[in-house]
Amino acid sequence: MRESIVIEGLSRYYNGFLALDNLSLKVRKNEDVALLGPNGAGKTTALKILCGLLRPSSGTAYINGVNVMEERERAISMVGTMLETPEFYPFLTPVETLSYLGRLRGMSGQGLKSRIEEVIKLVRLEEWAKVKIGKFSRGMKQRLALAQTLLHDPPILILDEPALGLDPRGMMEVREILKKAKKEKTVFLASHLITEVIQVCDKVALIDHGHLLVYDSIPRLKRKYRTSLEGVYLKLTEAAI
Amino acid sequence: MSEFEKLKIVTKYELLKQFRRKRFYGALVLTLLAVILIIALYKGLDIPGKLPALITDSPKLFALFVTSAGATIPIFAAVFFAGDSIASEFEHKTGYILFPNPVKRSTLVVGKYIACLTVTSLIVIFAYVATVIALVGIYQQLPIEVFGSLALALVYANSVLGIAFLYSSALKGSMGATIATLLTIMLVFSVIEVSLIFANIDPWFMHGYAGDSIASVYGVPFAAAFGGGMPGGMERNPDPTTSFFVMLGYFIIPFILSIWLAKRREML
Repeated sequence: MRESIVIEGLSRYYNGFLALDNLSLKVRKNEDVALLGPNGAGKTTALKILCGLLRPSSGTAYINGVNVMEERERAISMVGTMLETPEFYPFLTPVETLSYLGRLRGMSGQGLKSRIEEVIKLVRLEEWAKVKIGKFSRGMKQRLALAQTLLHDPPILILDEPALGLDPRGMMEVREILKKAKKEKTVFLASHLITEVIQVCDKVALIDHGHLLVYDSIPRLKRKYRTSLEGVYLKLTEAAI
Repeated sequence: MSEFEKLKIVTKYELLKQFRRKRFYGALVLTLLAVILIIALYKGLDIPGKLPALITDSPKLFALFVTSAGATIPIFAAVFFAGDSIASEFEHKTGYILFPNPVKRSTLVVGKYIACLTVTSLIVIFAYVATVIALVGIYQQLPIEVFGSLALALVYANSVLGIAFLYSSALKGSMGATIATLLTIMLVFSVIEVSLIFANIDPWFMHGYAGDSIASVYGVPFAAAFGGGMPGGMERNPDPTTSFFVMLGYFIIPFILSIWLAKRREML
């Protein structure tokens, strides 16, 4: 299977408003693709459909060849997701939360325990590992969300604004983690932060008003439009207004 | 991993969540206070002395009074724990962490239900244990009917859970689901039941009427004891077996609908 993610003609209406307009694209294995676009472009809608949290009005999506609409559980088992600004159960600690999610993903015993320690260390939450999440700041929850995304070492990461709510150091750390992860994983990331996109991804799918404007590698886009990625973004999204 | 294994995991962590919440311990304290208050009123106001002459003070009358006056305990306990069970995953966005996992929504709903049923049952059992202690302390007797009443109270609480789960799956907010459940049970169902009674229709199929079997199981005539007779000379004396199945119906239908709605619900 060469394609980790295949999106075929995805459309989604919200009460008559077309949020996603016949979106089609393919993400190959170990590619790192950013879904870039302004607020309300349809990025989160596309990711939610991929994760089985929304149903498309038409079209379909595959993860490693598995139809998300038909076999959601099997498709999602190959993915680590981080969507919107996730919230956690305030009465549980990070260790308990990760233990719960790890078990649901088929992990157990010493393997799960050591992996939890590993990911908690990775996102630098060691000192907070046994503190109830109710006391956490937004940035700490974002770190924990990243930890749960990586917990089961999935081959595909689907991330929505992963550095949102983090301070500059936190943002840098998250990007470093993703840069390491992308060497052996497929990363599909929605963002409107061009710096983040350039640092983490090789290809960009630029969408606006729900439809795909361009999908190519960052160097090729720069060459084609003879400007920076920011310039490409401004040029194409302005044209779409 | 089988869906049953996943169900065990969901139930375990849902129970952990319930036991970590202050509301469980708050419910225990309130239950104890309610039972103490009812016993104090029974004895302090000499309730048996105020009843018709054919009814005399007895362990059964005491148990009937305490457990029927405390029949709202199963309602509040069930609503307390189940109102936010599904709705909060959407309202507080915890669903973004829970739902993108290789587990069926139906498994999540059933796991949450088992956890809610466990904590609700603990509260109801706690109320009955307090009643039993009082019974043994005051009368040195324990009528066997108390256990039948407890069983029916648990079935009643379970039916409230079914209705609460339905609202929790259908409505946006936890508070809305909680209020809707309480209004349905304590207002809508009551209005229908009273209307049926006035129309001389036996309301054996109504939720509240079936719930009265918690008290009728003691065999003390309801109407004679507490003036709860019905127009047209009907005796308010629900049959425990029929009531058991009626309450089971009030659980099964809403709960199946709740699973169906939860499966269809999207994280918008």
